[in-house]
Amino acid sequence: MADRAPGRPGEQPTRSTRSGPGVVLVALYGLLALAATGRSVLQITEYFDRAPLAYVLSAVAAVIYLVATVALARGDRTSRRVALAAISVELVGVLVVGLASYLAPQAFPDKTVWSHFGSGYGYVPLVLPVLGLLWLRRTGRSPHDGDGDTAAGGRSVAA
Amino acid sequence: MFYPLTVVVFVAALALMGLSGWYAARSRLVDDRLLLVGVVVELGLLVQLVVALVHLGDVAGGSSEQATFTAYAVTLPFVLPAAIFLALKEKTRWAMGVVVVGAFGIAVMTARLQQIWNLGG
Repeated sequence: MADRAPGRPGEQPTRSTRSGPGVVLVALYGLLALAATGRSVLQITEYFDRAPLAYVLSAVAAVIYLVATVALARGDRTSRRVALAAISVELVGVLVVGLASYLAPQAFPDKTVWSHFGSGYGYVPLVLPVLGLLWLRRTGRSPHDGDGDTAAGGRSVAA
Repeated sequence: MFYPLTVVVFVAALALMGLSGWYAARSRLVDDRLLLVGVVVELGLLVQLVVALVHLGDVAGGSSEQATFTAYAVTLPFVLPAAIFLALKEKTRWAMGVVVVGAFGIAVMTARLQQIWNLGG
């Protein structure tokens, strides 16, 4: 599909975001997208009046996870930018909502994916964007690291 | 819900998770044994889907509980094929990570399905 065979320098300037550890990242994002979508559909259809802010945020989170999943799985140049934007919003979202849910609990009578820094989901929503950004950075910077190695050593050669 | 079926699916999903985790540690790729366990999980999920749809009317709570219940039951059979598809294309040990994540998701969603069912008591 989007990724070419390795060994054609110049055609594929960056490593695919789907190769190696990236494929696990895609899976995690997909799972979180499912979880967030399921939760927000139930919340919005049934209890919307109870906590509109929290439920709108759940829906926003669901959409962002879906976008990030697809963008990471595609992994071409445009998708990288989309993934970068989605994951950045996600990181800001989980930090702001996480903090707000402690400081202003009355605004969040019910949980969202992001409240309490994602504690209801094993803090995966907090860890995932950090991993995602590191991964985008790493795949973007190591052009000669092309063929999905198993060594995950963080050897990011600063240009 | 048919409780024994839920237990079978749940245990099979955990077994798949354990097996793929072990494969990841040994740097092994998808093979027949892994696929066989996957098929057991998948068959269980398909039967579960049929059972869920037949008994949909018995789900307690409002229409949205029924909607969530249906959404989970319908989504579940798609998770494993997607995970296996990604895993087959990836020729490193990370492929097994995808199966671990997928199997974990199936276990959680199956438990959730049973939870919604139990709301009615």
